[in-house]
Amino acid sequence: MTPTRTAAAPTPPPGNKKPRSKSPTGVRLPAVLAAAVVALAPAVMAVPAATASSAPAGSTLKLALTGDIDSLNPFKAILSSSTGILALQYQSLVAYGPKNNEDIPSMADKWETSTDGKVWTFHLPKDRKWSDGQPITAKDGAWTFKAIQTNDQLKQANGSLLSSVAAVEAKDDETLVITLKAPQAPNPGTQLPIMPEHVWSKVENPATFTNDKDAVGSGPFTVTSYDKAAGVTMKSNPYYWQGKAKIDGITYAPYKNSDAAVQALKTGEVDLISGLTPAQYKALQNQPGITTNAGTGRRYQAIGINPGTQTPDNTPIGDGSPALHDVELRRAIVMAVDNKTLLDKVLQGLGQEATGEVPLAYPQYNWDTKDLPLKYNPQAANELLDKAGYTKGADGIRLDKSGNPLKLRLMGRNTDPTHQQMADYVKPWLKEIGIDVTTVMKSSAQVNDDSTVGNYDLYFTGWGMGPDPDFQLSINTCASRPNADGTGATSENNYCSPEFDALFKRQHEELDQAKRSALVKQGQEMIYNAAVNNVMYYANTLEAYRSDKFQPFVTQPEKGGVITGQNGPWGYYSATPVGMNTGTDEASAGFNPAAVVVPAVVLLALAAGGFVLYRRRSATAGDRE
Amino acid sequence: MESTLSDPVLGGAVPALAAPPGGTPDKDTDEPRRGGSWLRYIGAKAGGAAVSLVMVVLLGFFAFRILPGDPVRSLADGRQVTPEQMDILRRQYGLDQPLPAQFWRYLTDLFQGKLGDSYTYNRPVMELILDRIGPTLLLTGTAAALSVVLGLWLGQRAAWRRGSRFDKTQTGLALVFWSVPTFWLGLLMLLVFAGGLHWFPTGGMVTAGVQATGLEYAWDVARHMVLPVLTMVAVVYAQYLMVMRASLLEEMSADYLVTARAKGLREDEVRRKHAVPNALLPTVTLIFLTLGGLVGGAVTVETVFSWPGLGYLTFQALSAPDFPLLQGTFVVFSSIVIIMNFFADIVYRLLDPRLRAS
Repeated sequence: MTPTRTAAAPTPPPGNKKPRSKSPTGVRLPAVLAAAVVALAPAVMAVPAATASSAPAGSTLKLALTGDIDSLNPFKAILSSSTGILALQYQSLVAYGPKNNEDIPSMADKWETSTDGKVWTFHLPKDRKWSDGQPITAKDGAWTFKAIQTNDQLKQANGSLLSSVAAVEAKDDETLVITLKAPQAPNPGTQLPIMPEHVWSKVENPATFTNDKDAVGSGPFTVTSYDKAAGVTMKSNPYYWQGKAKIDGITYAPYKNSDAAVQALKTGEVDLISGLTPAQYKALQNQPGITTNAGTGRRYQAIGINPGTQTPDNTPIGDGSPALHDVELRRAIVMAVDNKTLLDKVLQGLGQEATGEVPLAYPQYNWDTKDLPLKYNPQAANELLDKAGYTKGADGIRLDKSGNPLKLRLMGRNTDPTHQQMADYVKPWLKEIGIDVTTVMKSSAQVNDDSTVGNYDLYFTGWGMGPDPDFQLSINTCASRPNADGTGATSENNYCSPEFDALFKRQHEELDQAKRSALVKQGQEMIYNAAVNNVMYYANTLEAYRSDKFQPFVTQPEKGGVITGQNGPWGYYSATPVGMNTGTDEASAGFNPAAVVVPAVVLLALAAGGFVLYRRRSATAGDRE
Repeated sequence: MESTLSDPVLGGAVPALAAPPGGTPDKDTDEPRRGGSWLRYIGAKAGGAAVSLVMVVLLGFFAFRILPGDPVRSLADGRQVTPEQMDILRRQYGLDQPLPAQFWRYLTDLFQGKLGDSYTYNRPVMELILDRIGPTLLLTGTAAALSVVLGLWLGQRAAWRRGSRFDKTQTGLALVFWSVPTFWLGLLMLLVFAGGLHWFPTGGMVTAGVQATGLEYAWDVARHMVLPVLTMVAVVYAQYLMVMRASLLEEMSADYLVTARAKGLREDEVRRKHAVPNALLPTVTLIFLTLGGLVGGAVTVETVFSWPGLGYLTFQALSAPDFPLLQGTFVVFSSIVIIMNFFADIVYRLLDPRLRAS
């Protein structure tokens, strides 16, 4: 006999007393858990349904906020989520129109430029008001410009916009005059958000002012509260000059995970989401009550090719392959990459094949020629290399001018899964023209560092762009090259050409729109022919919204544009509810929870009951033995 | 004492050393020695913890300087920024200073309880951390408490009925959850219980845009907590179960249990009053250690369920890179682990008389 049996033997087995003494540890926990689940399930289920039907239909637009908010102080905010919110709250003197990103009236309804192109005069109508009812005057504009000019701490967000400004003066309440250091084509009244002087001049330190509660602005919506947990709430500005929005406000619900945001759209917790992956986008296309939108993006995707990096005083830096100094080799590389296949396979076709750097979203400046000399043609690329004297070795790898095998590195970001996918295509393509490529994926910060100082041969890059191409072109000038330690200016791809610099200056000063557009396109062609930046495609911005709650939104540009992330508030401002909520949310989500929940709860209760019974019986049997 | 002496199996007197630790230890002989050794013990452990903290402070500064990435360039990434603007930013953040000067500033700040200013959020790091530590503690605290209770309870049941079907299914199930990737499990929960069944919200800590207070607020938070807590519990409870089970199995062959049974105690009482309290000892250290780790381990769960806690803040800091924020979260996380470890040592000694005697 084991000690256990011996020990147990003297214990009296009083049949019905036993289970009770066991229950504290034996049965109570599962029983309590089961009971709790059964009791709570209906209550828990009931709540979302209740909130969905009790809220007035369509009175607020609920958005998934997938990015992070750094600050709602317009002098400091740089992350796109924050600037997107601020773009609804503050206006510039001149806005970018929804139709074509063209300059249209905003705070100012008229403006003119002096003949020498240096003095810009903006006229502000008398009757415009801030969201607190105070009048908007030219002094607000002057105050905002001066605040940034005189306080380094306020330069963080928009300092670069003022580098060309010599002086700003409010002649009277309705006239604001901006004097520039040199003539320029880009309107100095766009982009810079104007702040209400009567609010901000009373703030002790504007740089540390959080500005996240009951803010005063001039745009269609203003922030009422911000909380990292509860998100951002905005209300419609009754004084917005184009009229109060049709919705009462906007709620931004924070989502750190886009899959969760997609689920939230399906359940109706949010009404509009952006930044979908191609897979998420395709999955949402067949959902009833949901409409998807693939808006033409503002960003190009490219392979940067290191032409030999130099500092502004022409000192070579970086460890790029010297073979790439040869433009013929670079052109052959561009010809070996099949942009169309990358777009179709990696982006599932959700984008447009590219020509120049300015995306289709900006038709005024988009270089849209069909006659591309460097279009995909591996055979021509091989011939070009043969002619240029790159002979193939025994292993099929070509030798460079100094007799070494052509081995190049291709760098990408490990935070972007498309980079590895694209690298898997590019590697064999370049092998086809006799170039051996090793690919390496690094952290974003590392890629920034390496690409700045020229420590790369090839790398995946891309830039997002505002409506004016001036900045994008400027980072291709010789003066934009960085110092040896990576400080100083930012260059797109270390390109430097005196002809391009001259062209840049001409377009920068050209006030005639047609002439300027032509010059900008010419500039893109020069960069293209120098083969320092193989622009592959413009990815679409993938969005989806509850079309059972909201009518179609205004997109920018009008044709094939985006709802979210516009250069202006038009998309959200256009939000129009589809009549009253008829309580069809659940059905329209394609799923009836009751069908699953009720049997699930019953099953759970049965299982719990069975378990309790089983426990009682086995315990009693064991004790009786 | 009678039953101890007349143990039928051992048939003789039980040696004094085997006296049940959960019972009444011989206080008189132990008392004088304990006072001295306690001081020495705590001193040694506190010294160790202090050294670790100093290392953390040093590492917190230097380790992150080795990270690639110019923070100012990262901030300017893809934006229209002039070289002058970048210089201003460098000056503002003290990045134009030589490394020793930056280190000195970091140290002096630290002694004043300051962790510097975050580059990305333009706010004091301390403020950011304090802001988010509440939600993280709420989430991890609840998950930890549930995991401990569930794990220990299942563990001792499993061990007591070793080899039974209950034992096999419970250990098997726990190990399956333990091996499942947290991210995957979280997403699955989200898809089924939020997206599919609509039982729970898809993310966040409160319903966005709803200004609830009091009970309504608590209920709202509770609803949002269910899925993240369940995910954390599922992944974590296995380790408590396994340790408890192993530790109880070890106790089960101990002589004092025989004694207890010989006294005529019921099987259930033997387990609850004698075996389990002793088997709990090894789990105490584990609980304290994992509490520290849980705070850091919340990163994944917080990201899946959009929980406004410390985990996601750290992730943001790393991708920027935001040195002060990284240093801050690193120092805070590490300090929590070190302090928990220190507590574990003390509690362990308090609970285990064997350690106290030696």
